[in-house]
Formats: sequence, C-alpha cells, structure tokens
Amino acid sequence: MDALFSRRVHFVVGKGGVGKTTVSVALALMAVRHGRRTLLIELEAGGRAGSLLDLSQPATYAAHLSPAGVWTIAVDGRSSLEEYLGLIIPARRVLKAVLHSKVYQYFVAAAPGLKELMAVGKVWYEAERRGDDGQRQWDVVIVDAPATGHSLQYLRMPRAARDTFGPGLVKREAARIHALLESSKETAVHLVTTAEEMPVTETIEAYTTLASDLRVPLGLLVVNRLHHGAAPDALVDRLREGAAVLPAADARVALAVARRATEENAWAAINRAQLERLRVAVPLPTIVLPMVFAREFGPDDVAALSQLVDGQCAGQPGAAQPPLGRGHDPR
Amino acid sequence: MTLGDVVAKHKVVVCVGSGGVGKTTAAAAIGLWGAHQGRATVVITIDPARRLATSLGLEVKSGEPHEIPTDRLGAPPPRGTMAAMMLDQKGAWDRLVERHAPSARVRDQVLANTFYQSLSQTFAGSYEYMAVEELSELHESGRYDLIVVDTPPTKHALDFLEAPRRLDDFLDRRIIRWFVRPYVSATWVGMRLMNRTMGFLLKRLEDATGISVLLTISEFFSAMGGLFEGFHERVERAYGILQGAETAFVLVTSPDEQVLGEAEYLSAKMAELRMPLKGVIFNRTHDELALLDGSRRDGGDAGGKGYVEQVVARALSMAGGSGDPQELQALVDNFLRYQMLAEGERGRIEAFTAALRGRVPTVRVPNFSHDVHDVGALTGLHPHLFPSAQGRGDGTR
Repeated sequence: MDALFSRRVHFVVGKGGVGKTTVSVALALMAVRHGRRTLLIELEAGGRAGSLLDLSQPATYAAHLSPAGVWTIAVDGRSSLEEYLGLIIPARRVLKAVLHSKVYQYFVAAAPGLKELMAVGKVWYEAERRGDDGQRQWDVVIVDAPATGHSLQYLRMPRAARDTFGPGLVKREAARIHALLESSKETAVHLVTTAEEMPVTETIEAYTTLASDLRVPLGLLVVNRLHHGAAPDALVDRLREGAAVLPAADARVALAVARRATEENAWAAINRAQLERLRVAVPLPTIVLPMVFAREFGPDDVAALSQLVDGQCAGQPGAAQPPLGRGHDPR
Repeated sequence: MTLGDVVAKHKVVVCVGSGGVGKTTAAAAIGLWGAHQGRATVVITIDPARRLATSLGLEVKSGEPHEIPTDRLGAPPPRGTMAAMMLDQKGAWDRLVERHAPSARVRDQVLANTFYQSLSQTFAGSYEYMAVEELSELHESGRYDLIVVDTPPTKHALDFLEAPRRLDDFLDRRIIRWFVRPYVSATWVGMRLMNRTMGFLLKRLEDATGISVLLTISEFFSAMGGLFEGFHERVERAYGILQGAETAFVLVTSPDEQVLGEAEYLSAKMAELRMPLKGVIFNRTHDELALLDGSRRDGGDAGGKGYVEQVVARALSMAGGSGDPQELQALVDNFLRYQMLAEGERGRIEAFTAALRGRVPTVRVPNFSHDVHDVGALTGLHPHLFPSAQGRGDGTR
C-alpha cells in the first residue's frame, strides 16, 4: 500500500461505464485514510465524483473539500489553456477578446491535442505545486480520466508535443510533463474494467498500447462489478422441480428465485472466463471488486469498496500477482 | 401509442444517448424489426461490437450501405430488406475531400494537412456532422423507407443534436474567407490589416507557444474553399430532415445514467430544438417481482424475506431433502439483492417518465446475462421493444 502511494500521480483509465469514477474516488478515500493530502481531478467536467464524495455539487475548476477529506477539482483542456494564456496575455480585456474570437478557436482546433496537453499540464502543475512553506500542496493526485480512447490521447500528448512543436514554452513544458508521466517513481496508470467481453477486449488493447507504445508506468488492474454466483446449478434445478408442485402464487416466487440464481450464475461464469482472459493478457497486480447491489449507489458504497481495495493492496506487497478473489463456484 | 407505432409511423428513427448504454444494439434491433414489417430498411451505425459487425456483414468499412442477405436475418426471412452502413468518420471526410478537391495534387495536399487531420479526427461535432450528412444522402436517394441512425457515443445524451450546427458555426464562411485570401496565407500582414489587435496577439500566441498553425489553416481553406461553399446549406438540409415530421428521436439509456435525473431539461431542450422525444428505451434493466400486496410490503423487508425463505424451503423439500441451510440462504439473499436493485431502478425510471412532457412510449429491455451480438439475439430483443398489444404492462404511460 505504501508502495502504491509512494507514487504521487495516479491516472484511472477505462472504457465508458465500467466504474472509473467509483475507483478513482475509492483510491482517493484510501489515500486520505493513509494520511495523504489528496486531490482528485476529474478530466472533463460533469462527472459523478462530486456526488460520490457526498458533495452537493459537481466538481468545478475551483477546489472543493469533501466531508471525508478529499479535495476535488474538474479540469478541462479549454479552461486550462485559457488559464495558461492568461499568463501570456495579462490584459484581461484583450485576453477575453482573443478567447472569444473565431481565429482563436481555429488556433485551438488546428494545434492537435493542445487542449489535452493543457489538461495534463494542469495535472502536472497540481502535482508539482508547492505552498508558501515550500512543501508540496498534495501528497497524492488522482485523475479520473475520460473513456479509454480519449484517455490515451491525453497520455500521448506530452510526448507528441515535445517531439513536434517548435521551440517555445509549450515544447519545454511538454518535455517536463512527459518526464513526470514516464517516471515509475512518480506516476501510475491504473486500468479499470468489468469482466465482460467488450470492456475486456478494450482493456487488453489499452494495456498493449500503454505498455509497449506509450510506455507509461502501469499500476493496478481493477476488475469491477464481479458476480460471485448464487448457488450450485443443481440446487437451482431442484428449486425449479419443487416449484412445479407448489400452489401457483408460491410457485411464481420460487421460480423467480430460481431465475435470479441462474442469472447470477451466468454472470459469474462470464466474469470467470473474462478474468481468465485478463490474467493471461494483462499481467498487472489485480484488485477485484464485487457487484454492488443497491437501490442508489452512493458514498457509503464507494467507501466500502475503498476498504476492499485497501485490504487487497495490503495483502499483496509490491507487484506480486495477487490471489484473485474466486467466488462461489456454482458447479 | 407504442414504440412499435412510433417506428411504423416514421421514416427516420434516430437513437440518442450517452456512451455504453447499448444504442448500437437497439438501433440494429429496430432496423431488423422494420425489415420484418416489410420495409426497406437501412441502419447507419458507428462502432458495433466486432461480432455484431461480423453478423451483419460489416467487416469492411466501405462507406456504402451493405445489403444483408435475407437468409441471414432469421427464419422466416423478413418480408422487407435490411442494409447496414458503418460510419467511418475519417473515411467519410476523405471521401468528401476526394469529391470536392479540384485536382489530385490539391487532394493529397489536403489529406496531409495537419489542420484537416485534426478537424476530421478530433474536432467535436465532425463525427456527428458525418452522420447527418450520410442521413441526408440516404434520405434523398429514396432507396429506403426506414432509416435508423445510431449516433456517436457522447458524454451527454443530447450532444448529438447540436453538434452539426456547432461545426457549421465553426466553419463560418465569413471567417473562412479571411483565410483564403492569398496574402493571409503568405504572411501575417493580411491578418494584421484585417484586425490589428487580433493579428498581433495571435502572432504572440504563436511565438509564445511555439505552435505555428495559421499557415496550415490557410493552406487548407485555400485548397478546399469549394468544400465549404455548400456546407451551410448541407447542414440546414440535414436539420430539415431531423426536424421533419417523418423523423422520431428515441432515447436509449441504462437505468442508472445521469440523464434520468434530467427529464424536464431533456424534454424542454428537445422541444426547443424542434426534435421532440418520441420514445425511450431503458436498457439493461432488472425487473422486480411484485412479491406481496401493499399492506404486507409496508411491513418492511423482513416480511418479504420470511415469506421467500418459506417458499424456497418448501420447494426444495418437495424436490427431495431440505438441503444445506446456507445454500437456501444464498438463494434467498441473491433474490432479494436483485429485488433491491430492481426497486431502485423502478423508482428512477418512474420519476423520469413522470417528468417527461406529453405521452412518450417507454419500453424496458432486461439486462441479459449473455451478449447480444448476432441476429438471433437481436430478434430476442423484439418482444421487449415491441410487445404485442396484449403484452405486459410497459408501453404508454
């Protein structure tokens, strides 16, 4: 665990809808529990981190402190670029005119990845930022990244910018950001997925790109929403048999119970097969999180998941392959 | 009015929704149903799962509708036809350039231009623009009487509706004219003459960032001026179709998307855009078994739990032997966990449906514990999307 948070910058990457925000918040809560001053950054505004942290509003460009002690901001490339241009063009009125001009929009559109670069630049700025006392502002910065394809664009930009832009501020900063990104002492990119076919396929592709093309230091593989199965299939069959001789109203209930058990077992089987694919193709320390059954998934659920991450990290020092949480085998 | 009526009465059905909710599958299932209703159907799709693409014969991104042999569309084969077209954003832009470029040299120059590459690959809205461009083309071809559009995954469900217009706004002809004046492309002088302050500041911007782009932009627009001449008209024509009486918008969403908290906003916004919501598909839902009558339900979970335990124990003993009490408990707990999940979903769906304006048909598709990646599985969605008249309680609110 201490090994995990000895790195300061954590990117959480994965396909849309697999639970990146949940995992980001869980990691942030865990860092706070371990006494780290923690900033959670949502790349692109409008996410759910705010509500999962029990904040009354979504994260914004200005930092908010959650009841559990996590600071959070939302960063998008446009605001970061504007903040940055504010440094180059100090006159407010003039700056405003530039930002609202169409020519500026062309400039942004024409410099490929400039917005992404600026957003990652903001992450770097927060990670390096020091207070008046000369101490670092944050011990840990966790980045809730957008859907995989777009995340890779973010992570790719610093190197691309360093290599392609002419000499100037941007090139210099891109080189510094890239140095932080590729340092395995400072940075970890965590992959999140569910154990279903399409997310796993995308995760394997992302792993290959990250490991062999971008060469960023990887951290954990978090497999979310794992079903463990309900009961052995033979028992479910017996339940069905017995239901046949019950009065209709009761039979309906018994059959519904059987159907849910079959459904849960089917998901568990899919999950097991996909976990196996991951085990072969993505050799990273793996955390498994259960499917959470809740009326409304909320802050308490994330806090509970955070404890699970903590427990599994404690059980697996360094980069050793962890024991995968095998649930009840329904067969 | 049911979702089936909506599809039957419209020529164009546009599926909107945020990413990862099953839009592609829903669009394909609607298209297949149309074919079974005897219509000449085409589905414009974005990024189907590989096996669905294979199943529909979409391995090749040809940029043309691909007619699916009717014997692959289930038995009995549909009375109508079904074609599918995979939208390849980059390919579609390239074709546009090829169509409008005055010469091969200009074409190559444009394809290699970094501004063009950025515009065609990353600029938000260009994907959406290509979708409506293809829609217009297919609509005008008159070859199909049902066109189903699967929209690109967006962060917000409504992003698709405005994106083409934003792109049009971005490619404002008056501004483009700045860039196509020859003297601008050569130096900054022209820009400075046009607008002294702006030119000066942008020069500083370029110097400070080390990114020089205006020359690239200018080259692009000079070469491709013709492409954008008709752009505005094409966008307007596409909106004419989107806002027409023949077009229906259907929202596809899972029961835990943020959009479920925004029904009023959604209704108001779509009405304002003159693209009213005509149907909602709740995908990956869990249905809830009405366990007990209201009075006992009010007694709390404990009452329901006791009853279920009793029933399961009885059923198991009927089938021989009482079994392991732990296994019995596991069966019951599993059932109650799904009931709880379903109850939460029902609450969100009901609140959303109640807040929608007007009578919008809604359907629920269960969270299948198998992948929906072939024609057979698509057909399996039909009883949920288009329940027969005497079917279950979903349907019109």
